[in-house]
Amino acid sequence: MSAMSTMSTETKTPHKPALAHLFWWFLFANGGGLTALVLPVHILVQGILGPLKIVPVVDRHYDTWVQVLGNPLVKLYLLVLISLAFFHFAHRLRYFVVDLGFHQAKGTPAQVIFYGGAVVVTLVTVWILLTTVPISLG
Amino acid sequence: MPSTWWTRKRHYVLYMLREFTAVPMAAWLLWFLVEIKRAGDGPARYNPHESTAFVIFSVVCFAFATYHSYTFLNLAGVIMRVKLMGRTVPPRVVVLTMFSLWAVASIVIAAVLIGFAR
Repeated sequence: MSAMSTMSTETKTPHKPALAHLFWWFLFANGGGLTALVLPVHILVQGILGPLKIVPVVDRHYDTWVQVLGNPLVKLYLLVLISLAFFHFAHRLRYFVVDLGFHQAKGTPAQVIFYGGAVVVTLVTVWILLTTVPISLG
Repeated sequence: MPSTWWTRKRHYVLYMLREFTAVPMAAWLLWFLVEIKRAGDGPARYNPHESTAFVIFSVVCFAFATYHSYTFLNLAGVIMRVKLMGRTVPPRVVVLTMFSLWAVASIVIAAVLIGFAR
């Protein structure tokens, strides 16, 4: 019995799923994918074409900006975009710092700082989206 | 290994540049959060950003974001193994699909951002 339990421990140990790693990797990969697909057009339209007055943009006018921000689907989209992007950035920047020679960034305190930062940005985003413009279905 | 190891080869510099894209993209999204928050200032106090400095900032962020997108979508053929009816989809088709998806997403978002404006 004892031998069997030892064997079973030995066989199980290497297959233990790295759930924490899976969780951060999921957020990192999806954050990277989503920002790759949608961020350039946001920057181009809202950051360049709009301010240069080449095209009208929804956030150039208070009324239209508030109307769009009141839409629950827009709120959900913005939350997913900003939150996932910051989990992606946190993971990427942590390894960027490691690549620059700071191996302390591999440790738990650094993980708490980087991923904790992404959690803080997520909470701030939720707070801003819920308090800035009320949800409107109209 | 010295912390400047990545300056030795162009390939390494491009790798680090790609890792660094997260910084300007994060900076621009933080600006975006501020722009959302400013909608709560009320109609009298709301003024959209349009300074030359802001446009230059956006141009720099746009360059980094586009570089990140291009390299990510180009790698999709290597990263993603897609199976369709028992056969592996060729990497070229996966990459082409990802770039098409990028084009469609960009057109839809631009249409919403411009279409709902006045």
